[in-house]
Parts: sequence; C-alpha cells; structure tokens
Amino acid sequence: MNYEEDIDITNEVDMVVSAYPVQDDDLDEELLAADQSAQQYQEVQIPEVVKKFILLFHRSVLENNVYELQSIYEHSFNKLTEKFYANESWPEPEGISSLVNDDQVFLTLYRELYYRHIYSRLTPTIEHRFHSYENYCDLFNYILNSEGPVALELPNQWLWDIIDEFIYQFQSFCNYRNRIKNKTKEELALLRDNSQIWSCYSVLNVLYSLIQKSRITEQLLVSKNGGDMVEAAGEYGSRPLYKMLGYFSIVGLLRVHCLLGDFTLALKMMDNIELNKKQALFARVTACHVTTYYYVGFAYMMMRRYADAIKAFSHILTFINRTKQYHTRSYQHDQINKKGDQMYALLAICVTLCPTRLDENIHSQMREKYAEQSNKLTKPEEALQVFEELFLFACPKFISPNGPNLEDPEVVEQGVAFEPVQHYTKIFMAEVQHSILLPTLRSYLKLYTTMGNAKLASFLEIEPEQLRTLLMMAKMRSRQIKWVEGTLLEGEYQGTSDLDFCLKQDMIHVSEAKIGRRYGDWFLRNINKFQDILGGLELSSRA
Amino acid sequence: MTRIANTPSNRPEVIQSLIDGVDRYNPDNVSILEEYLATQCSNREVDVMANLAILKLYQFNPHLINDQVVNNILVKALTTLPEPDFNLCLYLLNEQMVTEEPVVRLITLRDLIEQARFKDFWNVYEGGDEIYKELTAEVLGFEDSIRKNVAKAVAMTFQSIEAPILEGYLHLKNQAFSDFVKAQGWTESNGVVSIPINKDNEAKTTVLTENIKFEQLTKIIGHSND
Repeated sequence: MNYEEDIDITNEVDMVVSAYPVQDDDLDEELLAADQSAQQYQEVQIPEVVKKFILLFHRSVLENNVYELQSIYEHSFNKLTEKFYANESWPEPEGISSLVNDDQVFLTLYRELYYRHIYSRLTPTIEHRFHSYENYCDLFNYILNSEGPVALELPNQWLWDIIDEFIYQFQSFCNYRNRIKNKTKEELALLRDNSQIWSCYSVLNVLYSLIQKSRITEQLLVSKNGGDMVEAAGEYGSRPLYKMLGYFSIVGLLRVHCLLGDFTLALKMMDNIELNKKQALFARVTACHVTTYYYVGFAYMMMRRYADAIKAFSHILTFINRTKQYHTRSYQHDQINKKGDQMYALLAICVTLCPTRLDENIHSQMREKYAEQSNKLTKPEEALQVFEELFLFACPKFISPNGPNLEDPEVVEQGVAFEPVQHYTKIFMAEVQHSILLPTLRSYLKLYTTMGNAKLASFLEIEPEQLRTLLMMAKMRSRQIKWVEGTLLEGEYQGTSDLDFCLKQDMIHVSEAKIGRRYGDWFLRNINKFQDILGGLELSSRA
Repeated sequence: MTRIANTPSNRPEVIQSLIDGVDRYNPDNVSILEEYLATQCSNREVDVMANLAILKLYQFNPHLINDQVVNNILVKALTTLPEPDFNLCLYLLNEQMVTEEPVVRLITLRDLIEQARFKDFWNVYEGGDEIYKELTAEVLGFEDSIRKNVAKAVAMTFQSIEAPILEGYLHLKNQAFSDFVKAQGWTESNGVVSIPINKDNEAKTTVLTENIKFEQLTKIIGHSND
C-alpha cells in the first residue's frame, strides 16, 4: 500500500528527481536492499521548497555569492529546519547529490550542516561521529592541500561556525569516549580500532596548519607594526577564506588549550591579537567575540589573575547587554545567553576572591541572577559548596588528550575513566579553601583604623598567631599580576584591594582607598540638558 | 615595578623556539627540555613555560612520564610562590598522579606556604625522617628561595615585627638570623625588627580622584562652538 502511494507522488515530482533509478511497478521489496529503499523513500520525500532551497544554495556557492550565502545560511536554513526538520535529520547527502550534479565540494559543505544539525537536535551515533570527522578531514584537505588556494568564499559567520563546531564535536567525542560503561562491544571495538579518529593531534594539526597556511601571524604583525601586507599574507593569506579561517583558528587554539588545562599556552596563542582594539577581527562575528573573552577571562582566573579576569568578563558582559536587542533574532541567541550566565557565575567567584568595584549595570545583573549565591559566598560555612556549584556550572567541559586505555581489559570492565572536570574542580577548590576566611576578615578591617592583633583574633575566634598568618596571606593575595600593556601574559604586580593594612608589632593599621567625588559625569549631563533647554527656547522664540 | 613576562633572560634560543613553535608537541624533544630542567635545578633558576611544556608532553604521551622530573618541576614551582605556577602544573597532571605520595607531600608543603603558615612549614619540612628533604634534594637553593619568599611576605605586611616570631618564620637563629636581616636591609633593635617603609606595608589612605583628560572634552567643547 505504501509503495503505490509513492509511485503516485513520484509522477508529480520534478524531472530532476526522476533521474534516479526510480521504482518500476516492481513492488518486490526483497529485491531492493533496505538501504536503497530507505534512500529512495527519503529522497522522494524531499519537499519542493527544500529542493528549491538546495538548488539556490548550490548556485550561490558556485558563484561565490557571499551576500546571498549569508542570508541562506543564517535565515533560510534555519527556517526550513524549524519547518521540516525540527526532529529529524535533513535529507541524506546521497539523496540530494543528483540535485547538485554530484558536486563534491558542495556536498562536503552540505554534510557539515547536516551533521551539525544532528548534533544539535538529535543524538549522534558513533557512525555519525566517525563520518562527520571524515567529512571535516575532506573539507580541510580540500582547503589546505589542493593545488593552490581554492576559489571558494563563504560568509564569516559560517567560517567561524566551522571551527567552533569542529572543536565542539571533538569535545563531544572525548566525553563520549570516556563513558565506557554503557557501550556495546561493537562500539568499544570501533573505538579501539580507530584511535586516530578525533585524535587530539589531528585536531591540533588542523588548527595549526590553518594558521600557518594563512600566515595570519605575519599579517597581524604587519597590521600592528606596519609593513607590506601583501607580502606578509602570501598567496593563500590574501584570500578572505584563508585569512578568516586562520584567524578563527587562533581563537580555536585558545579554546582547545583551555580545555586541555594549559592556560598559559592558551593566553600565549593570543600574543598577536590585541583585545582592546576597536576594529578587531574577532568582533565581526559575535559568537567569536563572546567566546574569545570567555576563554581569556577563564584562563586568567585559573592563573589567579582575578583582576584581569574581572576586566575581561565585565567588558564582554557590557557588550552583550548593550547589543541584546540585536541578538533576539539570531539563532545564536540562546548560546550567547548561556555563555553570559556562565560568565556572571565566574564573575561572582572572582569578585569574592578579589573584591573590586564593578560597573553598576554588571553588578546589578549579577546580583539579580546569583543573589542567593553571592550572599552565601561571603559566609565561611556555606561558601565552599557554592564555589563548587558555580564553578561546575560555568567551567568549560574539560577534556584529556588521550581517552581511556581500551586495550586494558580492567579499564573496560570497571568502566571508570579519568574525568578532567572533577580533577580541575578539585584543584581549584583546594585553592579557594585557603581564602575562606578572607571576606570576614575584610569586613572587620573595614570597621576600624587601628586594632590590636589579639582583639581582632578574638573577634574572628582564632589564635593571634593564626591571625598573623591570615593577614600575611591576605596581603600576598591582594598583590596580583595585572595586565598593563603588551601581550596577555605580561603584567605588573599591583595591589588590587581598596583596603590596605600593615602590622606594627601587634597593632594593625588599616586604611581604605576612597573614591573622590565624581563631578565629570554630572557636568556633562547638565551641559547636555542645558543645551536642550536652549534649543527649545530658540525654537519657541522663533515660532 | 618588576615586569613579569614569563621569559627569563637566560633562556637559550633552542628552548625559546621549542616553546613558541609546533615542535613542542614532538615527543622526541622531551629530553632537551628535561636537560634544561636539570640546568635550572643546579643554577637556581626557574623557567615556568619550559617546565609546563614538559608536563604537556607528558599529558599527551603518558608513557614518557618521569616521576623524578615531575617532582623537580613541582619543587621548582614551590619556590616561586605566591605565583600560581604550582597550580598550573597540577592542572597538567592526571588524577592518578595527584593522589600519589610524592605529589601529595608537595601539595601539603604548598598549602602551608600559601596560607603563610611558615612556622608549620619548617616543622613539617624538617620533620618526617628527612622525606621532604629528599624530595627537594635535586633542587639546589630550595631553602633560600623559600626564605626569600617569606621575607617578601613579611616585608609586605609588617612595619615592625618581634624578632622571635620572625625567627620562627625564617627558621634561622642567632648569627644566621642577624645576617639575613641585615642582608634584607632591615634593622634590629631590642628584639624588634623594623622593616623600612615600602609600597606595600604603608597603609596610607588614598583618595581616588577622577582624572579627566582634556581630549575627552574636545567633543563637548567643540560642540559649543556651533
């Protein structure tokens, strides 16, 4: 009964589809392999709108029509996904290959979207993961190892998403690989025999190669120090596709190194990118912008440079707040919001460990989202748990470069693998533990200008000797490396606390840095108001 | 003000190019870096980036892990406290190593220094049947570096401190103690050591005034000409 219906539909379909080995009236199911029938079924089911879309898509890629591609990629694809493929995958690439004359390059690009859709809406199987990896290899091989630079041009958003998704799938695979317990024998065998798929080295290799091929480092140096850009860029780097892929790979490496726990190397990657420049390349794609600051801030936090971390987080959170209305239409709205929430959590942690004044808006937003946690963070009894909660929520999903040793039968049987997230959380928490008493100490110090050591010790319910060590620790903690200029890793030791103290034998002297009256803003506002009044008067006098 | 750029001035060219480039992932280069670590240990220098590179190679190639090397790297990181180097090293180890004996002991030492519990630190260090001294044996000048850091912490916090307390922190007595105090530029009298005023132990009330630069006003002033 089903097949009769199919035949009717095919009669109404375009000539293009009929180019396929269409079913005769032979309804013998056994003759058709399960695959083939499913494929025909699928391909036959492609709605007209989608077919038109694919044709348009293909044409735009061939014509390098970046403008059209941008709207296809950002709007049409998502609209059609919502309408037809909200819960199932897009047509299989083999199914549409006749529509596009078997254009392998286009199919590779299509597959990138196809698998990305599966990862985001459905659950990828191990075959999906393997095939997606192979597809990425095809894509990067095509871009990097063809004879000479390829003529392809894609919108920046897509280029960023390629790198972003590539790393995301790598991360997802590492997590998948770690969960040994629920795997079938076949899956374990597949993993064991194909250890080069999604291996750490190959991912790093891709990113480093893109950077090298595009000579993006040389280009950035030239744009900073002057020089011949054309010469620095070389044959590949002068093409926008390569240049942007190289640039995004730098941010990609920043992310991968953070995921592997090498925070200094992560920041070192950003050596040639100036974060405070107005027209920085990473600002062209919002997702890239947000990702950069998130990882930079996180790396600073793990390096205990809390002041720098706070600055990075505040900067990007202000940006997100200001451009909120433009994001609601973008499909990345959810992603950006989630990152924003994570950064507020990290900000709460950093501000507790290194009290600094925050910008008004950020401060109020943070209190709004994390009111309860912020309060608990300053109380020694409850703080530890809240620190851990916030950290686990906000940290990236760390990975380890090697998966569990599947050759070892004991490992397979026990089903336990090294969990990087737990490892990092433990180390971070050990460090936080030292600072537990500091907020209470600080609140006492704020109340007095001088106090005896013994007296303060009794307030805090500790021994005077313990208080002395606590004060020394507070002093040591308040001196951090802060970025002044130069590369991200550089900096100078500066005091970060507005509360200062010193010990003269047994007497503690406290001083606070006060903020003087700010009159600049007030004057500006009133000047403007006055201007408006004058303008209004002039108008009314003319009338 | 000291600029921290993580680049010690006497880092050889070979190491510099190793750290900067892709060669750092080549497991064959691990011996070069390990040799460099040995030099650091005997010359009383520290090069954090190079040591982190060794740990990264170990992270990627667990079969290369050399416990003694890891040990020495961590001890070196202890000498640079309060910088976060020790933690950064820990992040690159795996869970199994962090729960093993030598590392656990070093973590104990680290915790004591971080919390400024210097007296306890020396007690633990000297006690325990020389276990700790064995761990730090290959790193020459370990005790001196620790003392330097203690002195830094003390100079930041105190303007004057009683001598017995300071002796406990530094684990020095009598002549050695007086020599050290003099070398630091502090003065001792009547059992109280005075530390000259420096930037950190001053505790002065400051008022942060707003600093409006002229350039920021050009727009408004220019506008008033219209």
